[in-house]
Amino acid sequence: MIWLGILVLIAAALAGAPLLAVLMAAAMLGFLAADIDLAILAIEVYRIVDTPLLVALPLFTYAGYLLSESKTSERLVALVQSLFGWLPCGLAVVGFVACAVFTALTGASGVTIVALGGLLLPALAKAGFGERFSLGLVTASGSLGLLLAPSVPLILYGIIVQQMNVGPPFTIVELFKAGVLPLLLMLACLVGWTLWLHRGGRAPRTPFGWPAVWRALKAARWELPLPLVVLGGIYSGFFAISEAAAVTALYVTVAQVLLYRDIKLRTLPRIAIDAMTMVGGILLVLGVALAFTNFLVDAEVPQRLFQAMQSRIDSALAFLLLLNLLLLALGAVLDIFSALVIMVPLILPAAVGYGIHPIHLGIVFLANMQIGYFTPPVGMNLFIASYRFKKPVLEIYRACWPFMVVLLAALLLITYVPWLSMALVR
Amino acid sequence: MQASIVQRAAAGLRRFEDAMLAAILAAMIVVAAWQVVARNFFDTGLLWGDALVRVLVLWVAMVGAMVASRKDDHIRIDLVSRFVGAAWRRRLQRFACAFAGLVLAVFAWHSFRFVQFEYQDGLIAFGAVPAWVCESILPLGAGIMSLRYLLHALDPP
Repeated sequence: MIWLGILVLIAAALAGAPLLAVLMAAAMLGFLAADIDLAILAIEVYRIVDTPLLVALPLFTYAGYLLSESKTSERLVALVQSLFGWLPCGLAVVGFVACAVFTALTGASGVTIVALGGLLLPALAKAGFGERFSLGLVTASGSLGLLLAPSVPLILYGIIVQQMNVGPPFTIVELFKAGVLPLLLMLACLVGWTLWLHRGGRAPRTPFGWPAVWRALKAARWELPLPLVVLGGIYSGFFAISEAAAVTALYVTVAQVLLYRDIKLRTLPRIAIDAMTMVGGILLVLGVALAFTNFLVDAEVPQRLFQAMQSRIDSALAFLLLLNLLLLALGAVLDIFSALVIMVPLILPAAVGYGIHPIHLGIVFLANMQIGYFTPPVGMNLFIASYRFKKPVLEIYRACWPFMVVLLAALLLITYVPWLSMALVR
Repeated sequence: MQASIVQRAAAGLRRFEDAMLAAILAAMIVVAAWQVVARNFFDTGLLWGDALVRVLVLWVAMVGAMVASRKDDHIRIDLVSRFVGAAWRRRLQRFACAFAGLVLAVFAWHSFRFVQFEYQDGLIAFGAVPAWVCESILPLGAGIMSLRYLLHALDPP
């Protein structure tokens, strides 16, 4: 009976049933097998109320939606360009940095490609960069910045791990600190490779001028306090994450609706509804996933998985290598939220068993997912770029793969040098 | 005539959900931001403020998921449908929606029982608001989602 249920469940999952229902059914089967009243499921989902940190998710998501609907992208690119445009290959550097910042603020939902790609692609062409390079840059950078505060997937990872109570405890702020060096490494690799690619020949650059910097700063005057207050507040510990989220949501609303007037008051409800529909689905999936995780932990599934692995995989290094392969494959077929709620509970106990710190695991996990966003054949950002720039997906594949190789090299370093993730934490 | 009443009711429900979602978010922002200001500058805060915000998160989760179920916009692991023809895709979608509708119906029933227990216990969530009121969104939301998915199974969106 249980096995029949499991078969139906897998079939439904593959047929495209909502993850919410699949996880619900899985938890129900588990509790039925253990002879536990199914009302437990409602009790577990109601525990959403016991996790104060969760408030940050809807608030940051809403702020991100507002930012992506306003002209923030234009002001951001103008500002970064006035600051870094004079460097060799300046505009490419501008592209990487602007994409990273924008993705961190709006969540890696593909909106970076839509909002920034349209600005950067013509600018890159005008500055003399090749079409294929430019196309690859804007597509591959669409998920860059996933490791930077206040990225929603990073918060989600922290929440899942904290609920499981496995391994050394840590705070979300430490997770945010851990992402800084790996992100800088990725940026350095991308910029270094870009310079090498354009060596010898003319390195396209735009002249530096204080008037341009001043103009850009003035245009962005209402947004500049945002990273300072929010990131400064979070990293210094002045704000709790949920407090920072509330301040951000309020501030962004005031800035975009009242000060910039980029967003009309009557469109505000629609943006709020869109954002809450997206995040509501994720929150409920998370609530159900946590119930399912509790069942798995009670049934000692992750521990058994670890024991089974231990007899075949003897070192942490081998484990991490296999994990990278698995996550890259998963990242190409699963969206980041499904991957987090399904995989983290299964692999965390094993990783801790191999002596890997949960913070390091989180950074490796998300760095993998970041690359998965543009991994063929089904990485989501490939299709968004293809749609946005009206190019065949095959052309996007060809444009992206060199960037993928560079980021994979960075990923290997991040995986095998835990110091990169842990240096700023301690 | 019958159909138009049902349609009007469905449209009314959609408007109600939209309004709820926007109102919950607004309340969340205002209360949470007020708590920050009050704590840091006046060293006080609403006693029930934090508890209210946390309950609102649950309500955003449920109402947001209800809205997402209108057009079957939930997160899914979509592996097969990309590789099959239109006719098979429709069949798979019917099956997936029927599955979701049934599972959600079971959840709705058991969360209704949960709310009943809590009603009998008479616990207070915050202020003067009993816990069962906060929890009632679970069976209500799951019930409506279940209904929508069963209808999707008959007529895939």
